[in-house]
Amino acid sequence: MIDSTPRASVNSAAGTPEAARLRLVETLVRTGEEDRAAFRDLYSLTSAKLFGICYRICGERQAAEDVLHDVYLTIWKRAGAYEPARASPITWLATIARNRAIDWQRAQTVRRASPIEDAPPILDTAPLASDVLLEAESTHQLHACLDSLEERQRAAIRTAFFDGVTYAELAEREAVPLGTMKSWVRRGLARLKACLEG
Amino acid sequence: MSDVLPPDVRDDDLPDTMAGEFALGLLDGDARAAATRRVLAEPGFAREVEAWRTHLAQLFDLWPEMPAPDLFARIERSLYGAPAPSVVALPARAPSKFWPSLAAFSSVAAAGLLVVLFTRPLPVPQPPVAPRVVVETSPTLVASITPTAKGTPVTVVYDARAGSLRLTEASLADAKRTAELWVIPAGGTPHSLGLLQTHGGTALTLDAANRARLAAGATLAVSLEPIGGSPTGLPTGPVVATGALSRV
Repeated sequence: MIDSTPRASVNSAAGTPEAARLRLVETLVRTGEEDRAAFRDLYSLTSAKLFGICYRICGERQAAEDVLHDVYLTIWKRAGAYEPARASPITWLATIARNRAIDWQRAQTVRRASPIEDAPPILDTAPLASDVLLEAESTHQLHACLDSLEERQRAAIRTAFFDGVTYAELAEREAVPLGTMKSWVRRGLARLKACLEG
Repeated sequence: MSDVLPPDVRDDDLPDTMAGEFALGLLDGDARAAATRRVLAEPGFAREVEAWRTHLAQLFDLWPEMPAPDLFARIERSLYGAPAPSVVALPARAPSKFWPSLAAFSSVAAAGLLVVLFTRPLPVPQPPVAPRVVVETSPTLVASITPTAKGTPVTVVYDARAGSLRLTEASLADAKRTAELWVIPAGGTPHSLGLLQTHGGTALTLDAANRARLAAGATLAVSLEPIGGSPTGLPTGPVVATGALSRV
């Protein structure tokens, strides 16, 4: 079992993932205090991650840039309410980015039937703990449980998360009837839930 | 060991997975509206949606980074360069922190522009972002948001010409949660209008999308959310006050 690393013990360990995470927490908290220099640092530390999210879901560069712009406006307004104890900074920021991108995508009248081709591929497995943005307390339980699913169930759930698509779009992409896709996902989610709670 | 559920298990026998489907964003149309209603009405369902979101957030680790364009100067212009910041405190509450540091900001903005000039192959200065003013036939809407439990109703005044929303003091939040204001267009799903101040009144300047949603007959609702507001873009906590918008 992986326990979360006590923060106090790593304060001096600059360069470690935990130190990087701590720096990100501090930058976000200072942004919440309307510190504009901190906000600029936050942009340089996180915009590549958040742009990756916006680009994959929006599927076009201009829209992804516009959404990224809105995402940082939202971050500036809400950062004062960020609570380090409740969520890792990158989870908090990435959730805003994904939701904004999905809002944009759902507002479009023309839907993408296929995934964009030039976005960097989603990783197959969880990165090692050297990833500075990795949540220290993450136990990778979700990854293990996803691995226990049937391939098509796992693929559907991953695509829904990373591409931000609806059931209808998912079914169209896989060229299966809507009911079939719903069945795959529901069975996958039921199994996933049992695994996560087990 | 087989991964496949036994063939005699029909979908009807599966546990309710709507919370997971909703958290993933798979639902649209009626199904999304139905799930939203359950979030509002069933605390257990809302907790389940939140649990799914927490689990799924681990997947963010797998999302590769992409070199981002330098939008920071544009972001700064939108935040501090426009005539009014997007969220302002009511004058009665406290002097805004925005204005005293305007001079400092100018330097920062200038520095930001320099960065843009020297790092972009084709520096195209963006025009200042002007707030779009939607011309409305009825510029003022009001609502009285009544708490579901005891408490004083909150008066809301919406100036459609300025896109500004003002609320009287609301004592709806507690120490652990934030009060978040939502608009629910007739037959639609909730959209966040912003967070309410813990003390004193609240003033919000709405974006174009939310301005379009504020019409007579739309419902305003306040839900209690984690500090910082709903992480999902939809209400996740209990609804503690509602009211309908009407013309003056």
